[in-house]
Amino acid sequence: MSILKLEHAGVIRGDRSIWTDASFSIEPGTVTAVLGPNGSGKSTLLQAISGLLPLSSGELLVFGEKSHRGNTAVGHVAQTRVADATSTLTGRDYVGLGMDGVKFGWGRTKGKKEAVNQALKQVGALAFADRPMHSLSGGQRQRIALAHATVFKPKLLLLDEPLAALDIAAQAEIVDLINLLRVEQDMAIVVVAHDLNPLSPIVDQVVWIARRQVKSGTIDEVVNEKVLSDLYGHPIEILVTPSGRRVIVGLEEEFAHPHPHGHDHSGEDGHQHFAELYEEGRQ
Amino acid sequence: MSLWQLLTSSFVIHAFFAITAVALAAGVVGYFVVLRRQAFAAHAIGHIGFAGAAGAILIGWSPLIGLLVFCVTAGILVGVAGASLDDRDTVVGVTLTGALGLGVLFLSLYSGYANATYSILFGQVLGVSVSDIRTVSLVSALVVASIVVIFRPLLFSSVDSQSAASRGISNQLMSVLFMTLLALTTVVAVQVVGILLVFSLLVAPAAAAEALTSHPIRAVFLSVGLALFAGWLGLFLAVWLGGPVSFWITALASLTYVVARASDSLKTQRLRKARV
Repeated sequence: MSILKLEHAGVIRGDRSIWTDASFSIEPGTVTAVLGPNGSGKSTLLQAISGLLPLSSGELLVFGEKSHRGNTAVGHVAQTRVADATSTLTGRDYVGLGMDGVKFGWGRTKGKKEAVNQALKQVGALAFADRPMHSLSGGQRQRIALAHATVFKPKLLLLDEPLAALDIAAQAEIVDLINLLRVEQDMAIVVVAHDLNPLSPIVDQVVWIARRQVKSGTIDEVVNEKVLSDLYGHPIEILVTPSGRRVIVGLEEEFAHPHPHGHDHSGEDGHQHFAELYEEGRQ
Repeated sequence: MSLWQLLTSSFVIHAFFAITAVALAAGVVGYFVVLRRQAFAAHAIGHIGFAGAAGAILIGWSPLIGLLVFCVTAGILVGVAGASLDDRDTVVGVTLTGALGLGVLFLSLYSGYANATYSILFGQVLGVSVSDIRTVSLVSALVVASIVVIFRPLLFSSVDSQSAASRGISNQLMSVLFMTLLALTTVVAVQVVGILLVFSLLVAPAAAAEALTSHPIRAVFLSVGLALFAGWLGLFLAVWLGGPVSFWITALASLTYVVARASDSLKTQRLRKARV
């Protein structure tokens, strides 16, 4: 059974249709990258999977059930929050909240200490787990956030821009970590990103959202001139560099001349979208 | 009268119990006020209560009833309307100014001697009766017990509302519950330090505790400890040296915060150096 299955799913926020007719499924132990311009509804997709937003049409099944909040099979790391940077809580306490933060009352949770330790160890965060979160670097905080979202052993992990605001070395470390979680815990992982490049070695499936349409498939099936040109409504070229990398040209236009459907550019760093999309070619 | 006779007189003993009850509730609730960055709401609820108290006096009721009705209503309103971080301050600000205006109107309509209003503004801890102590202790116990029950979900929702929501916690419910508890604590604390200074018992000890320790449960106990320290020592100094009790309490509470911040920034500097 697929971990996640969308059939003709659509979301409306206010009176604005975010995207419609999304159909794809996600299998255990796979990594899915969600790409697309700012405001195209990538985070909205994760919120719909978490049950935070209702669908306006179609169906979204997590383990065969309609998505709902509080599903212990789903871990969700939202985009980096301001709260992280100011929180005086230690990483360990924050991860502990991932384990039993939903519980009322005062009773101890059996096996919590071990589970928290194991989650911290898995993401390589033991060394700084007892420091307040505000004193950590972006990469360290991302590791703590991963431990927080995996401490209860979900089968589906949703990561919203886990690579944003990290330097290249830290990005590579987080990508390795995502791969480790996929291999060791057999998790299905959905990663929202601006740039496929750092993720491409571990990605099994790409979901590309633009102009309210959702296209999915392997990298080759989606990241090609025909599909992207259709999706964006203007010609997109993919160039192959001498080293075998593919560079996508034409996405800048989407940013420079936003479509009149009211894409929301606020709140996201528009510059990141300018980064061309590199794609490892086959030798 | 000797100092000992003063300290063992019934009005000081009553004050001691009232302060203890208030410090317990304020210390516990205060931790979350600081964590949720709702100091402004805590401040506002006291002032909104002032309008309620003035209104109650005007129609000849006990100011406590007016306080209770206005504070709890305001708490619930702020909790419902301001659950999202973005517009919370605006909601609080608008409610606050509206209520203060009402308070001024009620005061101007009231032709009698405004002594009761004065005591609401500045507290009257040396005048609390046994039945006041009973009320204050009861409400304080209720507040602390409620926090014990909702501690983890409230902490989760306060620290990371997005993750808490996806795990099935209702941030709206947490916000309303917390604001109600905050309102009840305010009503209780008004008896001791008055509306103008309620803020100091709710915020200063908790902020000091948060600067000194990262661990939530330790911070709550420390916050209660510091509130008790400020309350008890403030009462003692007022009896010993004279001056209003609420002055001493607020001065000591603020002092704990200043000392805690200073020691925290020293620690941070040392950490930075160690990391370099």
